[in-house]
Amino acid sequence: MTTTEASRDVVFTEIADMLRTVLAELGVDDAEITEQSSFNEDLELESIDLVTLTALISERWGEPVNLAEFLADKDLDEVIALKVGDLVDFVSGALARAGG
Amino acid sequence: MGKILANGIDTHYQRMPAKGVDPATAPTVVFIHGLGTDSLASFYLTLAAPVASAGINVLAYDLRGHGRSGGPDTGYTFQHFVSDLGALLDVLELRGPVHLVGNSFGGTVAFGHAFARPWQVASIVSIESEPPTQPWSDRMVQAMEYMVVQLSSEQTFLDLEAQNGAHHAKLARKAAAKLFATTMTTEVPSGRLMSAEDLRALPTPVLHILGGEGLQGGDPHALERALSHCRTVVIPGQDHSVLVDAHRKVRELLIPWVRGIHTDVPWINAAAEARELIA
Repeated sequence: MTTTEASRDVVFTEIADMLRTVLAELGVDDAEITEQSSFNEDLELESIDLVTLTALISERWGEPVNLAEFLADKDLDEVIALKVGDLVDFVSGALARAGG
Repeated sequence: MGKILANGIDTHYQRMPAKGVDPATAPTVVFIHGLGTDSLASFYLTLAAPVASAGINVLAYDLRGHGRSGGPDTGYTFQHFVSDLGALLDVLELRGPVHLVGNSFGGTVAFGHAFARPWQVASIVSIESEPPTQPWSDRMVQAMEYMVVQLSSEQTFLDLEAQNGAHHAKLARKAAAKLFATTMTTEVPSGRLMSAEDLRALPTPVLHILGGEGLQGGDPHALERALSHCRTVVIPGQDHSVLVDAHRKVRELLIPWVRGIHTDVPWINAAAEARELIA
């Protein structure tokens, strides 16, 4: 496993934990979360839940990882189609840029 | 994420400080979303970050009974929403003047606040919105009655599911249940309405953004005629959802408006003096 793959795994694990926190607040504690899970259809999250997740990501990684800015560049149908893996890509990329 | 008690409501809000400038001296916009299934997300996920990056402080909050804010069973006249906004600005110590950016019903709340506390409002950006007048109230009564009929029919949700998928229909059912658990549908049209004279006397500059096929598409310049300081921009090919569907265009209009207007507007200075007198 390369360093990049290892970092990506760590990011996925942390994002999955955040999602479990968000889902637990909604009374869901048995959701299967994979990189292929879509926020809308699979995890049944609402846009306000994405706001909570954005705040959690900002809390965890700070200024270099601005998910709100990333989402603001997307159209509604792109946001609806977002998968967990897309966020992992974004966070890993932002962290790599910040580190480099 | 923040929650704060304002006007008795546990209010969920999000802030983003202005970037690249001193937030203490930067202008502030307050995003106010619409009724029903709407929440602060429609602003937070579209305009908030680019506006903050443009050097403008951002506050977005969930209206009572919406998003993550608390929702009592009763107390949903638009005047309640107006009072909530005033209370939120007070508890967050945002003494203003601030720019109020309201989508649909959120714009009506913005007008209501500017009517009550003009000294606290630098400008209004009204997106597919209108002030709380008697004609607005009459239309809201009809719209609410229509909505109750629609949301009481199982067919509405089956149609939604067929058109937009099961998740969308589930959210609509959830929103309907939340709505029917309160007096929102009957109370919203009530409150302190503005007369034609009140509108003309409103000192607040207004940027009025409409979809060409939106709710005011038939007479897009009606508000401009009614107010003394209003500029209307119609975005062709857009409907009532212009904020979400054309957020880049709305952003292009909003940022220069706020930047251009936040200083050197004589009435703002007069209003600041008025605020000091009241205080």
